[in-house]
Amino acid sequence: MGLNRRTFIGSAVAATTLSAPMVRAAGHGKPRVVVVGGGAGGATAARYIAKDSEGAIDVTLIEPTRTYYTCFFSNLYIGGFKTIDDIGHSYGTLASEYGINVVHDWAIGVDRDAKTVTLAGGATVGYDKLILSPGIDFVDGAVPGWDLNAQNAMPHAYKAGSQSELLKAQLMAMPEGGTYCMVAPPNPFRCPPGPYERVSMVAHYLKANNPTAKILIADPKEKFSKQGLFEEGWANHYDGMIERVGPDFGGANVEVDPGAMTVSIDGEVTNVDVCNVIPAMQAGRIAEIAGVTDGNWAPVNAADMSTKADPDIYVLGDASQQGDMPKSGFSANSQAKVCANAVRGALTGSRVFPAKFSNTCWSLIETNDGVKVGATYEATEEKIAKVDGFISATGETAEVRKKTYEESEGWYTGITSDMFG
Amino acid sequence: MSAGNLFLPALGATGLVLSCAILLATANRDRQELATAEAAIVTSETRIEDFKSRVERLEGELEAARAEVADLRAAAEAGDEAPAEGEEVAALPETVTPVTPSTPGQGNVENGKKLFAECSGCHKIGAGAENGIGPHLNLLFGRKAASVTDFRYSDSLIRAASNGLEWHADTLSDYIEDPRTFASGTRMSYDGMKDAADRRDLLAFLRTYSDNPADIPEADPTAVGTDHTVDPEILTLVGDAEYGEYLSSECTTCHQASGGDDGIPSIVLWPEEDFVTAMHAYRDKVRPNQVMQLIAGRLSNEEIAALAAYFKDLEE
Repeated sequence: MGLNRRTFIGSAVAATTLSAPMVRAAGHGKPRVVVVGGGAGGATAARYIAKDSEGAIDVTLIEPTRTYYTCFFSNLYIGGFKTIDDIGHSYGTLASEYGINVVHDWAIGVDRDAKTVTLAGGATVGYDKLILSPGIDFVDGAVPGWDLNAQNAMPHAYKAGSQSELLKAQLMAMPEGGTYCMVAPPNPFRCPPGPYERVSMVAHYLKANNPTAKILIADPKEKFSKQGLFEEGWANHYDGMIERVGPDFGGANVEVDPGAMTVSIDGEVTNVDVCNVIPAMQAGRIAEIAGVTDGNWAPVNAADMSTKADPDIYVLGDASQQGDMPKSGFSANSQAKVCANAVRGALTGSRVFPAKFSNTCWSLIETNDGVKVGATYEATEEKIAKVDGFISATGETAEVRKKTYEESEGWYTGITSDMFG
Repeated sequence: MSAGNLFLPALGATGLVLSCAILLATANRDRQELATAEAAIVTSETRIEDFKSRVERLEGELEAARAEVADLRAAAEAGDEAPAEGEEVAALPETVTPVTPSTPGQGNVENGKKLFAECSGCHKIGAGAENGIGPHLNLLFGRKAASVTDFRYSDSLIRAASNGLEWHADTLSDYIEDPRTFASGTRMSYDGMKDAADRRDLLAFLRTYSDNPADIPEADPTAVGTDHTVDPEILTLVGDAEYGEYLSSECTTCHQASGGDDGIPSIVLWPEEDFVTAMHAYRDKVRPNQVMQLIAGRLSNEEIAALAAYFKDLEE
């Protein structure tokens, strides 16, 4: 992918020298904010800046997909609790009601001196402040035998949409008594409880449709988020179906063969029917292209999410390296609002308030069996630091778990309204 | 998935030699599978042994806890029956676990590393660290006291553990400050680190070998918890609605600004007094709901007033 992308940039740059159309909203002279990535971080930041500046700032949102499928709740789609349409959202309201210039294209280059963003379609967009919220890409070679060319045979389904649909279709086509294997990612990765909610949802589907099927997890991590809650739930609802191989037994030493549909764990080769490979992650590629990453992620200042590398470029959500917040949609949305307040203040002189961050991750284990973990965070000199938190307890009553699930549904409506208007 | 099936039609045409080869290959594969299965059995047996020893240890802990409870009950009953004047009534079961574990600030990891020299004669930390004179200190934060496998603890620490002692920044700081005051029978022969800033730095260093909240959100905090006390005159505060608008963005992640109600209640157009009362009830943990207790828990009186002032007129 890296090579193809680089070739692509070359040709795109050549094209722009011939005809360099500028995508600019009306009203030259107004400060310009460009947001790359229309997920929980980017859509929220764009909406808040446009809404609160009341037309004083030109906001451009660059997002390749016209329908955005949220990663959060995509496991519930796989489990059959949501339809794919339930988790799909358009950018229509952001354009029509908030006046945001929504451009469906890929950002492929950033010129920090000229303060422009280059798009795959050949256009360049100028900015005063640039907000990057590109989510994640996968680290090349993280799982030997797997690369993006293999994502049809062995889907990651860790960017929602067609990948989620593919994984679900493979699950439905699984032979009776077959094996679903998940190759879980190492830390840090998007949505810490995500792989384990995924396993719960796959188990829910299989229990009803293919009860003799097995689930095998190869996991490079000693521990994972909500482990006690998930393991309790798996024993209660899916006894004997799920086996997790941790690093003590070779869970970190995994190779796959997408042609033969085999997984090798510590040299032991197993035939599998569905293989959900979730490789190690890094910041979405545009952050690296912009030169604001250090290693796999983009270090940012906790007070306003500006990058350590460039005070006019901000990085939100999964791509940022900010400290204690988990990489989640809720975190990205929370960071976006702090960033929006700071960016607006810098461009228009509006009041800037102290940063406050929070996160809650809900997970569904089985019908009406919801659990959650949450925390509050503050900005310190060094990082975003965790202040306080909670986690659902093991052994909670069915009523409590049902309420927790209902709360997560309410949150979903809330956050998607907060993102897309 | 279907490679084996595609192979079958070709089989007839390739003749006996290939069939034999395949039979041989199959036999070989069976042998390999047998070896693999045998290895798996050995692995499983080791795991069963592991679990057995864990169960034994946990049963021991349970037994100790039960004895403790029985003792305390007896003591409490004795106290109830004859509370002699001036005599101290037997203490109720004391839980050592703090309600809200919090840490004393960030601390300087580099300085903490230097200070760790005072500990490293007995305690190992980092990759491959094993128990020495003292238990290893990996994954210390959030760990139940006296819980490292294969380490022989003093009765004093085992008792504290059965009373619910967990290692968080505050309990660790107290312990390191003066080990024998904290647990009189501890085997840790260390006089204590009296300087609070040194302890904070040392804990910051130890913290780097425990779970990171970025990876495991429920891991211990790394920042100072905010302290809140309720001011009786909170209802008279005049809220700053513009600040409230900024703060409201934390609410609208879940509560719809439109007033829509879908699993999570509407919070717009509430009378200010009701809003303030409800938020304080969450902050004081009178109203149940973990998310709301958490969010309200770090809002100041002025911030709650600001939110109330903003939401009372919000119409989208």
